[in-house]
Amino acid sequence: MALQPVIRRSAAVLAGVLVAAACGAQPPSGPAASPAGTAAGTAKVELATTQELMVATAADGYRNDATRTNIGMYPLNANIFDTLVTLSPDYQVMPGLATQWEFRAPNTYRFTLRPGVKFHDGTAFTAKDVVWSIQRIAKQGGGTIGVSDTSAVAVGDLMVDITPKAPNLRALQQLVHPSWSIAKAESDTTKAMGTGPFKLTEYVKAERIVVAANDDYWAGKPTLRKITFRFLPDANTRVLALQAGEVQISDIPKESAKTLTGDFSVSRSKVGAYEAMYINIHGKQGYDLGKDPAIRQAIAYAIDKKVVVESVWQGNAEISQTMIPAGILGPEASRISGTNRDVAKAKKLLDDAGWRAGADGIREKAGRKLSLTMVVGFPNADVHKPMPEFAQAQFKEIGIDVKIVITPDTATYEKRLASGEGDIWVEAGSQNDANPCFLPDLLFASPRPGGDEEANMYGNSFAPGATFDAAIKRCRESTSTADVQKAATDAMKLLVDEQFIVVPLAGTYRINGISKKVLDFVVHQAGVHQRWETVKLSK
Amino acid sequence: MLRYIARRLAYLIPVWLGISILAFALALLAPGDPVRQILQAGGIDAPSAEQVIALRRELGLDQPGPVRFAIWLGNAVRGDLGRSYSTGEPVLQSLIDRFPRTAVLALLAVSLGLVIAVPLGIVSALFRDSVVDQIARLGALVGASIPSFWLAYLLILFFAVQLRILPVAGASEPRHIVLPALTLAIGAAASLTRLTRSAMLEELFQDYVRTARSKGLRERAVVVTHALRNALIAIVTITGIRLAALLGGAVIVETIFAWPGIGKYVVDSIFSRDYPTIQGFVLFTGTVVLLVNLAVDVSYVWLDPRVRLGEKSR
Repeated sequence: MALQPVIRRSAAVLAGVLVAAACGAQPPSGPAASPAGTAAGTAKVELATTQELMVATAADGYRNDATRTNIGMYPLNANIFDTLVTLSPDYQVMPGLATQWEFRAPNTYRFTLRPGVKFHDGTAFTAKDVVWSIQRIAKQGGGTIGVSDTSAVAVGDLMVDITPKAPNLRALQQLVHPSWSIAKAESDTTKAMGTGPFKLTEYVKAERIVVAANDDYWAGKPTLRKITFRFLPDANTRVLALQAGEVQISDIPKESAKTLTGDFSVSRSKVGAYEAMYINIHGKQGYDLGKDPAIRQAIAYAIDKKVVVESVWQGNAEISQTMIPAGILGPEASRISGTNRDVAKAKKLLDDAGWRAGADGIREKAGRKLSLTMVVGFPNADVHKPMPEFAQAQFKEIGIDVKIVITPDTATYEKRLASGEGDIWVEAGSQNDANPCFLPDLLFASPRPGGDEEANMYGNSFAPGATFDAAIKRCRESTSTADVQKAATDAMKLLVDEQFIVVPLAGTYRINGISKKVLDFVVHQAGVHQRWETVKLSK
Repeated sequence: MLRYIARRLAYLIPVWLGISILAFALALLAPGDPVRQILQAGGIDAPSAEQVIALRRELGLDQPGPVRFAIWLGNAVRGDLGRSYSTGEPVLQSLIDRFPRTAVLALLAVSLGLVIAVPLGIVSALFRDSVVDQIARLGALVGASIPSFWLAYLLILFFAVQLRILPVAGASEPRHIVLPALTLAIGAAASLTRLTRSAMLEELFQDYVRTARSKGLRERAVVVTHALRNALIAIVTITGIRLAALLGGAVIVETIFAWPGIGKYVVDSIFSRDYPTIQGFVLFTGTVVLLVNLAVDVSYVWLDPRVRLGEKSR
């Protein structure tokens, strides 16, 4: 039966994950797939004779020029390409085109490549394809890892060394990102020649990308024969396309999750991304109240995260005490205790700091009102609705007045952040690689002297200083997963539990509406890592 | 006539230059750094200073504004609007690829609007305060009041989700244009119906209409040949304005129906600070609007002999 290879493959992946977790070794199987249980659960279901899937996705974000093309890779991952390593739905690094890897001091990762892999045109995948793909990224500026023309060196046909330009021990965790996809050496990149489970058959700019099954895929033949991804920029249109039966899968806004009934169900990622508030601790005049630790702590205790999850996110989130999915931190995550709503404690903190309630209920100290500006706009203001108003009401309860500023787009938000005009900054996002230091490092490391205003905009407002920087340095320089997780947790604990610069609000799930005929679709929190080869359609 | 057109074309040159300066200045004044946006769109969430500097140099953004404007204008005159920062494609080619979609949608919507509005407006004026007039006025009021995005969703819900006779969105088949065109046509028809009615009412009470009737002309000739022809000047003017606005991209409708026209394209470009595309779009659509206005002006010559006489008397 056609399902058996899939079940075997999924079971092998699960077994591999368990082995890896137990031994610290790399599992032997392929890219992150659906859990075996999911596939086993569908074993009795009769499959549809036509395995053609229609998916609605957001606006076309591909580039189509030869130098920087990313068709099929990013932001929509059509599974045309593979990466050396992949990111599982629970944020673990998994084997991809590389079966094993080792760190070689001072700054090199050596990858053993998977044998027997073929590109969609039938040619064999070798180390020279990896070298060429890395060189291509080097020509574009070096990517997130910072590679040069000489960074990738073929050690043999199936072995390659990757050495970033500058010390970067997190390269392994960054290589999971689809922008590090491996394409066939010397190929026309606009034709998207990869080794993935699907091959490109049609791309119509701003309309659709169509892929067909690659029956020679190294991890087994996909059940789906064809996937058509339709670019529908408007979220409501995507929901309507789902309801009209034009597509079988679509990401949907949280507001629509409860409206999907009947032939549809809602599928959520296993882990949540993040929504958090960052408090400006280096503010200039007019935006300097965040320097007072009592105010930051009071803010943290004023927020009812349970209500944020249940009302604002309508159950499509989990309470979060970490900035990023806790799974990346491994067992260390439990060291971050975070805060829960405690109005009495919040009020006492402000009382003890000398902030007394005025006639209008808003606290004052030395003639200055406890009035803060909350800036909302990253990645866009709509994502957060109605959280700002909700938080505003809760802050008022403890005597803090909050003015909400909505920025129209990310660029305006960042411009304002660079100028430091705000006390509380609300952001949401997802973690796209397996590097636990990425976000804390990006946002909270001390500004680089001589760096430009925008590069340093987060550090100028939020950087806690030397202790945090030391933890980030350890995180950057550690070679074992445990040490990386420990250092990242130390950094995050300082932000959340000790300095109260970060108030995590919710771990927000990625939500998809799916037809009940769709089987084995496992939503990845980071959409760029979504896998399609395990999906199938029932009758 | 040719001299008239030539002079109108000559007027366009300073206007066109003004548009180009405005287009360039607006993009320069917008907040945000396109270099970061490009790198982030390519998956580099935290670009290094070296990457930012290198790309800024590559794009010529390290040059002073006036120098960039001079280079851009020189290239624009030769038909080169640069390459999109976001897609890497030539801007002019991208606009040319998308413009026919927008033009077809706009023309269909306006034509459909005229087909509904002109007869309805005439009947409404001829039978003033009758039941037909009341219904037409109410319909026009509702059509003009309802936001296009709301109407679009209602039409999708009814025709695509409930009846399943038309597609929700897309552009791969001819039937994909029906709902977006209908959405825009209803809005256009509403305002044009009211305008046609009021213009016809104004003409129907003119002395020349009374004279035509007293001469014993048939009512159809009085209405169509005399009153409507004069009312057409106002109708053509508003139709031209409406068409020009739609040719600039019906952003909301194009987004909802995933219609790959220039409206959606330019909004994405604005959010990604894609300067060449924004500047190219303003220049391109500015030119289109100027040409539509020219066509409207030329049509006056045909519709109203007084324009021709005025021309000769100069």
